[in-house]
Amino acid sequence: MNPAAAGKTYPATTLTVDPQRVAAFREVFDESEGVPATFVTVAEFAVMPQIVADPELGLDFSRVLHGNQEYEYRRPLQEGETLEVRCRLGSIRVLGGNAFLVLVTELVDPAGDVVCTARSTLIERAAD
Amino acid sequence: MPSASDVPVPSDLPLLSRVVTPEAVKAYADAGGDQNPLHQDEAFARAAGFPGVIAHGMFTMGHLAASLSKWAGGPERIRRLTAQFRAPVFMGEEIVAGGRVKEVDVEQGVAVIECWVTVDRDGRTEWPIKRGEAEVLLDP
Repeated sequence: MNPAAAGKTYPATTLTVDPQRVAAFREVFDESEGVPATFVTVAEFAVMPQIVADPELGLDFSRVLHGNQEYEYRRPLQEGETLEVRCRLGSIRVLGGNAFLVLVTELVDPAGDVVCTARSTLIERAAD
Repeated sequence: MPSASDVPVPSDLPLLSRVVTPEAVKAYADAGGDQNPLHQDEAFARAAGFPGVIAHGMFTMGHLAASLSKWAGGPERIRRLTAQFRAPVFMGEEIVAGGRVKEVDVEQGVAVIECWVTVDRDGRTEWPIKRGEAEVLLDP
């Protein structure tokens, strides 16, 4: 992984908070109402192919583990709404052969307000 | 529903346990979009150095979020949630989500909760999620 790629921003995509998909999520976790707090992972995973295929970053996804995850909400997601998804590479640190990448994903509503910020730390383990 | 003026500090949230099955993990992969074979393919997981298929970290975190949501009265009450993934979870294991109220801001109606997920394996307690923290909105 290339630490110099830190700060890179990817083209924005969108997330529609599809009620059927939300219902499937609720069913997995036996939640009875609302949009589960970890549903935003859907947006993070939709961006992932771009990141995995980015030659500038050079991430070896076969060695990646999920180290840490954070969600911060300004308001709950509403079923049916469409939000812009802005993803950037936060910090990249290399420690003892392992590389730690923080992906920052923001969901932005049509008024331009950030609804949720997700921070995901991916650990690229040292090659054998 | 807990209310900010009634929640003792510290106090423990009810534990929430579930057995992790391949069916549930497959349902999660379909709903969440993470189809990494590490979470579904035995041979792939072994080749990656694990003794068997492991659940997604986000499966375990989703269970933790559900435990907070049930306590607080809905997922929209969770304002912030953070988790460190510290140990794998294998198929057939029972994961247990727990939490402890560390702080309550009565005026703002917000509780800060330390939260975690444990699994008992070979007579030891492992911590698939350790040092999680949540901010949850409470009734006044």
